[in-house]
Amino acid sequence: MTFSADTFTIKHEHQPDTARIERRLLVVAGLFLLVNYLGLTLVRNSVELEEWVHLGVWVIGAVVGTALLEHFLPFRDPLLFPVTMFLSGWGLILIERLAPPFAERQTIWLAVSVAAMLVVSIFPHLLRWLRQFRYVLLLLGILLLVGTIVLGTNPSGLLSAPQLWLGFGAIFFQPSEALKIILVAFLASYLAEQFPAIRSGALGGNRGLSISPRVLGPIVLMWTICILILVWQRDLGTAILFFTIFVLLLYVASGSNLVLVSGLLLIIAAGLVAYKAFPVVQLRMDIWINPWPESDGRAFQIVQSLLAFAAGGTFGQGIAQGSPTYIPVVHSDFVFSALAEEWGLLGTIAVIACIAILVARGMRIAIRQEKRSFLALLAVGLSLLIATQSFLIMAGVLKLVPLTGITLPYLSYGGSSLLASFVILGLLLRLSALEN
Amino acid sequence: MHFTREINRLMFGILLLLGIVAVAAAYWAVVGPDTILQRQDNPRLVQTEAEIRRGSILDRDNTLLVTTTLNDDNSLTRSYIYPEFASALGYASLRYGVNGAEAAFNNILRGDTVNNDILNQLSNDLLHKAKVGSDVRLTFDLDVQQAAVSAMGDHTGAIVILDVPTGQVLAMASLPTYDPNTLDQNWEALTQAKGNPFFNRALQGTYQPGLALQTPLLAAALLANYPLNTPLADANQSVQLGEVSFSCVDEPPDTTLTLQSAYLYGCPYPFAQMIRDIGIQTVQSAFNTFAFERPPTLTGYVTNPADQTVQSSRFLFGTDNFTENALGQGTITVSPLEMAVIAAAIVNDGNAPIPHSLLQVRPPNTDVWHDEEGVNSSVPMLTADSSRQMQTIMEAAVDEGAAHAAAQPDLTIGGHVALAYVGETTQTWFIGFVTMGNRQGAAIALVLEDTSNTDLAAEIGGQVLAAAQEQLGVITPQPTAAS
Repeated sequence: MTFSADTFTIKHEHQPDTARIERRLLVVAGLFLLVNYLGLTLVRNSVELEEWVHLGVWVIGAVVGTALLEHFLPFRDPLLFPVTMFLSGWGLILIERLAPPFAERQTIWLAVSVAAMLVVSIFPHLLRWLRQFRYVLLLLGILLLVGTIVLGTNPSGLLSAPQLWLGFGAIFFQPSEALKIILVAFLASYLAEQFPAIRSGALGGNRGLSISPRVLGPIVLMWTICILILVWQRDLGTAILFFTIFVLLLYVASGSNLVLVSGLLLIIAAGLVAYKAFPVVQLRMDIWINPWPESDGRAFQIVQSLLAFAAGGTFGQGIAQGSPTYIPVVHSDFVFSALAEEWGLLGTIAVIACIAILVARGMRIAIRQEKRSFLALLAVGLSLLIATQSFLIMAGVLKLVPLTGITLPYLSYGGSSLLASFVILGLLLRLSALEN
Repeated sequence: MHFTREINRLMFGILLLLGIVAVAAAYWAVVGPDTILQRQDNPRLVQTEAEIRRGSILDRDNTLLVTTTLNDDNSLTRSYIYPEFASALGYASLRYGVNGAEAAFNNILRGDTVNNDILNQLSNDLLHKAKVGSDVRLTFDLDVQQAAVSAMGDHTGAIVILDVPTGQVLAMASLPTYDPNTLDQNWEALTQAKGNPFFNRALQGTYQPGLALQTPLLAAALLANYPLNTPLADANQSVQLGEVSFSCVDEPPDTTLTLQSAYLYGCPYPFAQMIRDIGIQTVQSAFNTFAFERPPTLTGYVTNPADQTVQSSRFLFGTDNFTENALGQGTITVSPLEMAVIAAAIVNDGNAPIPHSLLQVRPPNTDVWHDEEGVNSSVPMLTADSSRQMQTIMEAAVDEGAAHAAAQPDLTIGGHVALAYVGETTQTWFIGFVTMGNRQGAAIALVLEDTSNTDLAAEIGGQVLAAAQEQLGVITPQPTAAS
C-alpha cells in the first residue's frame, strides 16, 4: 500500500523492525529514568507524587508516540524518536533536580512537544507547503523577528534582561526558536531551486568570483537578520547559529570551499566588530580568553561550570549529590555542566553520543533523499540545527568557544526550545519515512 | 549525487567537533580534581568543609570542651562550652579557618587520619557520607584552666602550667581573649580590638624577660661553681641598664646580700657582679643550655615569635650589650611557655620535659581511646644537684622573699618574681612550681603586662599552682587500645 496524499510518498509496504528497535530503546530509556527518579527520591528522602506524575507523562508520551508513529510512519528511522525521548526525559529529571518549581511546566511542554512532533510527522501536506510557500514563511519569520523587537519581553520581567520572548498571558514563547526552523525550510527550498545555477560557477566556478544576485540576495538578507538579532536583541547565540546554518547550507548547495572560508572570515570579522561595539560580546570574549581573574565576578558562571565538570570526574557525584546549583541559570544554559557534575564524564559522553547519533541519522536521511534537493537540504539543515546548537552550548560551557546563551536541544529547560526541537524531530521522522 | 561529498564532509566535521567537546570534558574531569577544584573560590570546598562533622575536644578528665551539633536544617554548629578555653583551643570557622588546638589537631578533628577499610571508604564515597572526625582528649584540665583564667582576671598577659615530669600542658591562657561561638559575627571588631585577642601570648609572645632571667643566671652560677653565699656589701643598690634603673623587687632586710639572698628579693646588683665574674662565654653557654636560642614548641601549635628578626638575633651577645642581655633587657625575648619549661626542669632534676597537649584520640563511632603522644622524654638542662639547690632557693623566695604572695597552706611552692621594662611599660613575671615529691608536680610561668605589681603575679601563680596540685592527685587514666 502507498500513502500518496503527500507530494512525497510514504513507504508502507512491509512491517519493518523499526517498532521493535524503537520499543526496546524506549524501555532502556525508561529504565534509566526510573532508576534516576528512584535515586532522586532516596536522596530527598521523601516521595513526591508530582515527580512520578511527570515520569508518567513521559511514559505516556513514549507509548502513544511510538504507537502513532508505528501506525502512520512504519518505515521511519528507528533511532530518532527513542534517542530524543531519552534526552528529553533526562532533561526532565535534571530540571526536577535543579529547579523543581519549573518541572511541572517543562512536563506540560514535553506533552505539547510530543503532540506537535506527531502532528508534524503525520500531517501529509507539510513538506509540500514548506517548499511551496517559502516566501510566505520568510515573511512570517521576519514578522516574528520584528514582533519580538517591538513587543519582546522577558519572563523574569526584568527590563535589563534580553527581551527575546513574546508573551501570551502566562505563556511565553521565544520566536527565534520558530524562526530557526523557518529559516532552514526557506533556505532549503531556495537553495534547492538555485543550487544548479550556484554550482555552475557563481562561487569560484567557471566565472571566477563574480557573485550573482541570486546568491548575494539571501546572503545580504541573512546578514541583515543576524545583525538585527545581535544589535536589537543582544542575542549572540541565535545570531551565530543562524549565520552558521546559512553558511553550511550554502556550502552543501554550492559545493564550494570558498563559502566555508568566507563564512568563517565573516564570522571572525563580525566578532571583532561586535567585540568593539557591544559590551555583551566583549564580556563573553574576555571571560572566554581568561576567566580566572574574575572568577567571582563576571566569569563566575563559566568558572563554576568548569568546576562542575571537575567535580563530576569520571563517574559523577550521583543524582542530587553534586552542587551544580552554584551555577546561575544552571537549568537552562548550563544543564550540560550540571549533568557532568552528577553523571560524570560517562554522562557527558552519553549525551554527546546521542547528539552524534541524531545528527548522523539526519545526515543519513539527507543522503538517502539527495535526488530530491529540497528534502536533502531540509534534512541537512535540521540536523545542522541540532549539531550547531549543541556544539555551541556544550563547547561554550567547556570554555572551548565563547559562551552563547542558547539551550541544549531536548535537555535544557525551555518550552519553546523543546517544542522547536520536537518539531525538528517530527520533520526528520517524516523525511526518514519517505521513499527514496 | 549532488550533495553526498559535502554532507559527508559536514558529518566528519561535526563528529570531529563533538569529539573535541568529549576530549575537553574528559580533560576537566580528569585534570580538574587536582587543579581547579582545589581553588579557594570553589564553593564546593566550603560546602564539603561545612559538612565535616569535626570530632569533639575533651579535657584530661573527659569533660567535653568542644563539640559539633546537628541543627534542624542539617547544618552543623561548633560549640565551645567553656569560654575560659578560647585562647588554648582556638576556633574552627568556615570563613576564617582554624586556630589554637583546632588548628594543631585539625587533621585528626577533620577525620583525615581515620583509617577506613576499602569497603567503608567505597561506601562513604558512593553514598557521599559526610566525613566524621576523631575526638581528641587533651592534657588540659578544666579546673586548672578555670582557676588560671579566673585568677588572671582582666589583666592582659599569659599563663602556662605544665605537669612535671610529663610536660603535659595543664592550662594555657592568653588574655584578652574572645568568644569563639560568636567569632564570625564579631570578626571585624576582634581584629581591631585593643590587645589583639587572636595573638596567643602564651606561645607566641616575645616578652622582655628582665630579671626573670635571674633563675637561669642562678643556675649558670651553680653550674660554674660560683659561690652563692659570699656576702656583698651595698648589694641592694640599683643597676643602670640603658635608660632603665633596676633595683630590688622587694626590700631586703639587710644591705649586705649574697647571690642567693639577692635572688630571693630580686636584687640585680649581685647578679651584675656575678656575670662579670664568670664571663660572657659561661653565661652564653648556660643560656644555650636553657634553649634560649631555639625555644621549645608545643606540637601543632604556632609558637614562632611574630618578629622573626628579633628571633634570629636574640642571642647575639656582644661585649657592648652583654650586661643588658644577661639581665634580660637586651635583645633576648622569651615566651611564657619557655619560662615554664625552665621551671619544670628545676622540679624534674634538671631535665626539661617536652611540652605537649594531646593525650589520646578516639576514632569516630568507637569507644576506644588510642594513645597518641607518648612523649615522656626530656632535655637535660641542669644537674640533679643544681636543680635541687634551685628548688630550695625558689621555695625560700616564696617562704621569705619577694614571691611570698604565692604561698599556699600545706603546699610546697617555689617561685620567683621579676620585672621587665619595655619603653614606658612594665611587665611582671612569675615563674614557679608546686612539688609533690619524687620529681612530680606542676610548673608555671605567667606574665602580666602594664603592671609592676609582683605580689599580684605571685598570688595568681600560687592560686593556680594550688588548683593544679589538687587536680593532679585525682586524675583517672582512661582505658587505651592496649589495655
